[in-house]
Amino acid sequence: MAAIVADRLSKTFSTRVRPAGRLSALRSFLRPENRDVEAVKGVSFEVGEGEVVAFLGPNGAGKSTTIKMLMGILRPSGGSASVLGLDPVRDRLELSRCVGAVFGQKSQLWFHLPPSDSFRLLGAIYEIDDDDRKWREAELIERFGLAPFWDVPVRKLSLGERIRCEIAASLLPAPLVLFLDEPTIGLDVVAKREIRQLLADAARIDDTTVFMTSHDMGDIEKVCKRAIIIHHGEVVVDETMKDLRHRALSKKYVGVRYASPVNLDLPSLSPVKRTAVAASYEVDTREHSLAEVVRALAAKGELEDITVEDEPLENVIAGIYSARTGAEAQAFGTGLPGAGRAAPEALGA
Amino acid sequence: MGTIRMARPLGRIRAYARFMGAAFAFNLKATLEYRVNFVLQFFGMLLNNAAFAAFWMVLIERTGAVGGYGFSDVMLVWAFVSTSFGLAHIVFGNVRHLGRIVMEGGLDVYLLQPKDVWVNVLSSRTIVSAWGDFAYGFIVLALTSGTDLQRFALFAALAVPGALIFAATFAAAESLAFFMGNSSAVSSALTEFMLSFSLYPEGIYGPGMRWALYSIVPSGFVAFMPLRVFKSLDWGLVPVLCLVAAVYVGLSYGLFRLGLGRYESGNRMDARV
Repeated sequence: MAAIVADRLSKTFSTRVRPAGRLSALRSFLRPENRDVEAVKGVSFEVGEGEVVAFLGPNGAGKSTTIKMLMGILRPSGGSASVLGLDPVRDRLELSRCVGAVFGQKSQLWFHLPPSDSFRLLGAIYEIDDDDRKWREAELIERFGLAPFWDVPVRKLSLGERIRCEIAASLLPAPLVLFLDEPTIGLDVVAKREIRQLLADAARIDDTTVFMTSHDMGDIEKVCKRAIIIHHGEVVVDETMKDLRHRALSKKYVGVRYASPVNLDLPSLSPVKRTAVAASYEVDTREHSLAEVVRALAAKGELEDITVEDEPLENVIAGIYSARTGAEAQAFGTGLPGAGRAAPEALGA
Repeated sequence: MGTIRMARPLGRIRAYARFMGAAFAFNLKATLEYRVNFVLQFFGMLLNNAAFAAFWMVLIERTGAVGGYGFSDVMLVWAFVSTSFGLAHIVFGNVRHLGRIVMEGGLDVYLLQPKDVWVNVLSSRTIVSAWGDFAYGFIVLALTSGTDLQRFALFAALAVPGALIFAATFAAAESLAFFMGNSSAVSSALTEFMLSFSLYPEGIYGPGMRWALYSIVPSGFVAFMPLRVFKSLDWGLVPVLCLVAAVYVGLSYGLFRLGLGRYESGNRMDARV
């Protein structure tokens, strides 16, 4: 059974139109005009039990609105949502017992109290027996390393420590589905790495379905197995991380360093960066043979170093984000019409 | 999956009682985190209320009874209003923040928890100075009516429906934020009206005004009616006041539920305090 189902889910907000010009505030006050804004336009997807899915999109794409409809916070304007077979709005109370949520920007911990107190209150909110709560707390303290600050007021914790507590708190009732909205926002690299590992462990150990939004490619690459990308309120990409990475395989970055200065230009390829003895090239393998590029560079002089790297996933996703239409986004990096990349041609070395 | 078992309480009421008790205890603990602030606000509120007592003492000494109320009657009205108002803000501390929470999208966290949103959000905060209001009523009672335990019990029993009526009325005004966006002006006006009208003798109001004081601005049910019941020591009217409180709570809850369908969330960074 699918853990999460969105079926032509849509959400329209009504917003006040502010007329331009002098006395606009007065005109707006006397004769208010509203305009409908379609934040989510018929989004459909399914997430299976135990899947770990990244839900991506640029700012304003409709990510948070979709996730809030799935959690029962917002009522859909059209279509339907189902989480664990329940309607998120109609069955909110029942569903909230089986679903955990972490908002990077909103806290469910009490600011002036230590995590130990918040967990006790959450136990009362979720109606967890005291013995069960203590057993679960002990497990989460151990797994998330909460012991050093278990009795320190939340206001005195670092952001990384607070997010660890937030995630642990969301796991207290052993949810079947965990929603995360930008869980690593504002964290330093070390804290991010820790949080990603903890999330990956949580998904693996508890077999929890994880549905996560993030702008951090590290989160997505380390934690998720599948990516759904939403843009202009529509799903434009829904594929495994492996397939998403394949979109980048046609582009390679070749770096070279020579023992002495050489002519770094190739007949149909110029370096994107260069010094007197080093350069890096962006090679589209559908236009140029990688082997021929490497051979041509090796023939130019005495090589001290050569590196070949894939295009970062971040660039692929940035390309999809910058597409002006859904079709353009779907085609990005695939070589399909609209993808914006030319057919391969031979490199004359 | 984990093997957590959900508690199987005797009923929803027991589960909510446990939750409310826990919320109260944690709110109190959070308040006591700042001891100096607590002491200052507690005694500050006692002094503030006592200043009005001095004013009424001087006034009634010079003019005699006002609207049929002597000094002890006025003080008892103050005691009821103060204790009920305090209790409402101790237990339901978010009652006058609800509109702002709705406006800023702060209901998200409460919507994700398996508790009624209205009860959860209202009881997730306490107001420090309200402890001063709460205690002031009992101090005045001791000074005006002695330490008779039966009177203390009746006073406490009457303060509970009063607190519920205060909370329900304020929450209803704040729930208008769902419909108006910003309801702070209406809410502030209603708070002022309710407190001001409650703290003067009932006899000074005409019939039209009295009708309003037992309906839209229910000062009559938090001040005048409790005073009459208290003076006559008539326990039989306590359930009537509880029924009135239940009606106000029901109406306020209904308005909130109606508005909740219009809730639009938000992206403000937030913390629970």
